[in-house]
Amino acid sequence: MATLIAQAVTLQRGHRVLLQGFDLRLEAGEGLCLRGENGSGKTTLLRALAGLHQPKAGSVVVNDIPQDAFMEVSFLGHQDPLKANQSLREQLQFWAVVSGKKAPQFDDILAKVGLTRQSTLQGGVLSAGQRRRASLARLLLEERSIWLLDEPAAPLDSEGRALLGTILDQHRRQGGIFVAAVHDELPGLPTRTIWLDKP
Amino acid sequence: MSTLRECIAIAHRELSLGWGAGGGALLSASFFAGAVMVAPFALGPAPDTLGKIGPGYLWLALSLATLVSLERLFQSDLEDGTLDQLVLSPLPLELVALSKTLGQWIATALPLLGISPIAALMVRVAPEHIAALCLQLTLGSLALFLIGAIGAALGASVRRGGLLVALLALPLYAPTVIFGAGAASLLANGGAIFSQPFLFLCALVLGALALAPFATAAALRLHVD
Repeated sequence: MATLIAQAVTLQRGHRVLLQGFDLRLEAGEGLCLRGENGSGKTTLLRALAGLHQPKAGSVVVNDIPQDAFMEVSFLGHQDPLKANQSLREQLQFWAVVSGKKAPQFDDILAKVGLTRQSTLQGGVLSAGQRRRASLARLLLEERSIWLLDEPAAPLDSEGRALLGTILDQHRRQGGIFVAAVHDELPGLPTRTIWLDKP
Repeated sequence: MSTLRECIAIAHRELSLGWGAGGGALLSASFFAGAVMVAPFALGPAPDTLGKIGPGYLWLALSLATLVSLERLFQSDLEDGTLDQLVLSPLPLELVALSKTLGQWIATALPLLGISPIAALMVRVAPEHIAALCLQLTLGSLALFLIGAIGAALGASVRRGGLLVALLALPLYAPTVIFGAGAASLLANGGAIFSQPFLFLCALVLGALALAPFATAAALRLHVD
């Protein structure tokens, strides 16, 4: 059973306190949208939930295990980690191996994100939207229970946004958890929303 | 077994990116070749002079050539978000750092060491000593890459940080260059390959293999937070 718990988390960047005593509890099948102005701490909170940023105080517990002991999260940041001179398929194969997956269904996953025809193209020739779809493909093949997404819809067109909504909803229905920092509501997703105020 | 598979995948990717378009792995070899080519012009073509200074000069050229490729070792991963994903992978960051460094070493050092016999001839090293000298350079280059990776990790967030990487790495190169050049000099003067400086060089390589990945990973964590 996937769970994501943040207890009394305080986040600080330099001398600026972004969040103080922040509590969060998400159970399997739940989704959460983080909204707020630029600089309100959405990215820092996501990075703290992922274990990429050390909170000033408090703790994050993933699947009942302290997060620094085990990683069960997939993180989608502002950048899409694609190398310019390797094909999309090669790069997905790399991430599959690194995340310990032995026989991922590349063709199914590429079809799901609408990149079947682009699978042999090099990362450098993909558009921003296609790169984001490739990152979604990486999340799908990693098969981790908790997804943390930082403005996932930003480079996507309307079709891509609908696809993102579908993928997130499927993940949620399959017992996963997602937290997404967004500026606009994701269409058709029954999620909680938390507004973060600018400090 | 799975860990080994993941390490090989990271090293293999580094190799293919290094040799791919714009990878820059051949830049180090070109730098090394260029530095050795100008040696007779700078030091004079007299066989006695070159024969004495040549082996040490090869080590100097090697240490500078390794710096050429180290600048981008972690920088591109930091810029495109790959580093975040590697931190979140099940593989310890120390093994990620080691695998990436070994991949970069193979990509860069192979062509570099491929031209080292010709480079040795150009600085008047006797032909019968060239094979042993190349072995020393191969081992020494591994230590240089492992140690230089610490500097590369520290300077990863600095744009055009090549100078910073050089400033950080060159002082750490000193023991390797001292023992490497010492071993090469003894060899060129008719000494045995397994001389005392060479054994110290081997110990340095082992020490760097054991310790440098921890320092590199610690430096990388500074950029992730």
